[in-house]
Amino acid sequence: MDLHKEIYIPKPSPFDPDELGHFGKFGGRFVPETLMPALEQLRKDYEAVRFDKDFWAEVDYYYKNYVGRPSALYYAENLSKELDAKIYLKREDLNHTGAHKINHCVAQAVLAKRLGKKKIIAETGAGQHGVATATVAALFGLECEVFMGAKDVARQELNVFRMKLLGAKVHAVESGSKTLKDAMNDAIRHWVTNARDTYYLIGTVAGPHPYPMMVRDIQSIIGWEAKEQLNAAEGCLPDKIIACIGGGSNALGIFSHFLEDESVECIGIEAGGEGLECKHGCSLEKGSPGVLHGQLSYLLQDADGQIQEAHSISAGLDYPGIGPEHAFLKDEGIVTYSHITDVEALDAFVWLSQSEGIIPALESSHAIAYLKKMKPEDIKGKIILVNLSGRGDKDMIQVKDILKEQFA
Amino acid sequence: MKNLVAYITTGFPSLEFTVDVALALAESGVDTLELGMPFSDPVADGPVIEAANLKALQNGFKLHHLFEASAKIAPHIDTLWMGYFNPFYHKGMDTFITEAKKAGVNGFIIPDLPFEEAKPYKSVIEAAGLNLIDFIAPTDSKARIEQIVTDAKKFIYLVAYAGITGAGKSEDLQEIVSDIKTFTDTPVYVGFGVDQNTAKEKAKGVDGVIVGSAFVKVLLDESLSNTQKITKISAIAKEIKEKINS
Ligand SMILES: Cc1ncc(COP(=O)(O)O)c(C=O)c1O
Repeated sequence: MDLHKEIYIPKPSPFDPDELGHFGKFGGRFVPETLMPALEQLRKDYEAVRFDKDFWAEVDYYYKNYVGRPSALYYAENLSKELDAKIYLKREDLNHTGAHKINHCVAQAVLAKRLGKKKIIAETGAGQHGVATATVAALFGLECEVFMGAKDVARQELNVFRMKLLGAKVHAVESGSKTLKDAMNDAIRHWVTNARDTYYLIGTVAGPHPYPMMVRDIQSIIGWEAKEQLNAAEGCLPDKIIACIGGGSNALGIFSHFLEDESVECIGIEAGGEGLECKHGCSLEKGSPGVLHGQLSYLLQDADGQIQEAHSISAGLDYPGIGPEHAFLKDEGIVTYSHITDVEALDAFVWLSQSEGIIPALESSHAIAYLKKMKPEDIKGKIILVNLSGRGDKDMIQVKDILKEQFA
Repeated sequence: MKNLVAYITTGFPSLEFTVDVALALAESGVDTLELGMPFSDPVADGPVIEAANLKALQNGFKLHHLFEASAKIAPHIDTLWMGYFNPFYHKGMDTFITEAKKAGVNGFIIPDLPFEEAKPYKSVIEAAGLNLIDFIAPTDSKARIEQIVTDAKKFIYLVAYAGITGAGKSEDLQEIVSDIKTFTDTPVYVGFGVDQNTAKEKAKGVDGVIVGSAFVKVLLDESLSNTQKITKISAIAKEIKEKINS
């Protein structure tokens, strides 16, 4: 198969949700009644294009000519030597705008355009999804407003500037923890008021149905390509696949095409923050099932069911929830989940930069760090696929501040 | 006689004050009280009610406070709990049903639990002799309205416009009201953006109004003493009750 010629079209998955969006007991649509007709309409609109060749051909045009797909699968020679394993990096960091987020932005913008919507809104944490949304808005001539927690506006100032430069309006959200969770609250509030002419471009595999399934379908191009590329390079499947998890889109993107391959272990890495006994973002490991942002999934919450603040050095993982399909895959034991702390992620940020000349996003550094956390006997001689979901340019100001002594 | 439903956020500024305000509202002609359960992420609410929710939580509000206050209030006025679904899910619907029966509370309003997801819970709630209030929004089709209202009990919460609480927009609801009325005799109450100024207009063609932000604004007003707040809230309730029935 020639990835430069082939068009990616999602296929039905055994993990597809039911008509109401349930992955087992998770998922669903928990939103104010005002939004239900819009979600039901979107469900039908997406079903109509889900396997439609014309739709995906249009998306494919932008993937190949604008985003730069297929993204490279890079054999990380130096890491491989150091770890005595074969490490392959799926280079989503090389995409236009610097992360996997552009994939679901292009496809959803093509859908929004087809639906005749003139405005798009988005929430963003690290700003990668906001930048990617602002980018496709500029490309397709759509009006764009991005909701971002005030705390993230401060720690990701470069991305805020990029969004504005691209013509988007950025709302700094001052309520609650002033991070991604609160940005999503305000995006939902805006959408409740404006659903008639506005497309809500959700940036991960979370939210009410059909978003978790739709974004997973779109992002699964990552694993579809990687499977083919690895097969060409090694003639076999990987032993392990590692990806970081905020809401879970880059992880499901690379996992989905391997979930039925029993020999492949998929490992999702949550944000360990300052450690599991302190502040962190481990909804699966430390949370419990609950409802937030339109879905039933694992959540960080207190005894009364109040949502707790997450913490991570990386804004993109700083979220107290997780996509419902991950909740299902965890309970079914199909995917393994673990965590990496801020300190370990920062260490991997430097490690990958200096051993391969690739500066990863802080989010992706969590996946890289797990290579070091595994026991040597668990990875010796193994083929390991890591999703390098984004590049570290956006994190330069933040990391420079933390590491200025080390690189003085 | 058209009915007035009043929403207040529990535990703000204090639990004792919530009880005092509730009893004052009961004496001012309010027919049903919605006791709001403060939640960390109230996505259906505008800035006013959101602020009250967050302040109540900062003051240390816990669910057992709601249960305790309700036992003092419910004997005096028809009382419902209005809250987001997560605390119900987390504590278990059974817990809420038991506590509601104990306190004399008559049912629940859960704005992020639409018809489809409500189904399994609605039957349990009704079997316990309580009510789960159904919502209709101006975005709903006639077919969806029929589905939702056919089994609606107590009253139907008609959202006055596509938006969040307290936005004070307006939409023409005559058609949607007549659609609802073709399928059910259950009373229809309009909520969202109803205050002293809009009550009369919004009550047209329906059986009652639901008022929240207009009361909570007074609760949040730091220039007023608690006594002044109660006086003002009672006056607003009386005025609205009068206007919708004039
Ligand atoms: C580079 C990068 N990776 C990962 C994430 C986390 O999102 P998700 O778990 O949906 O892939 C983000 C979010 O902003 C990101 O920017």
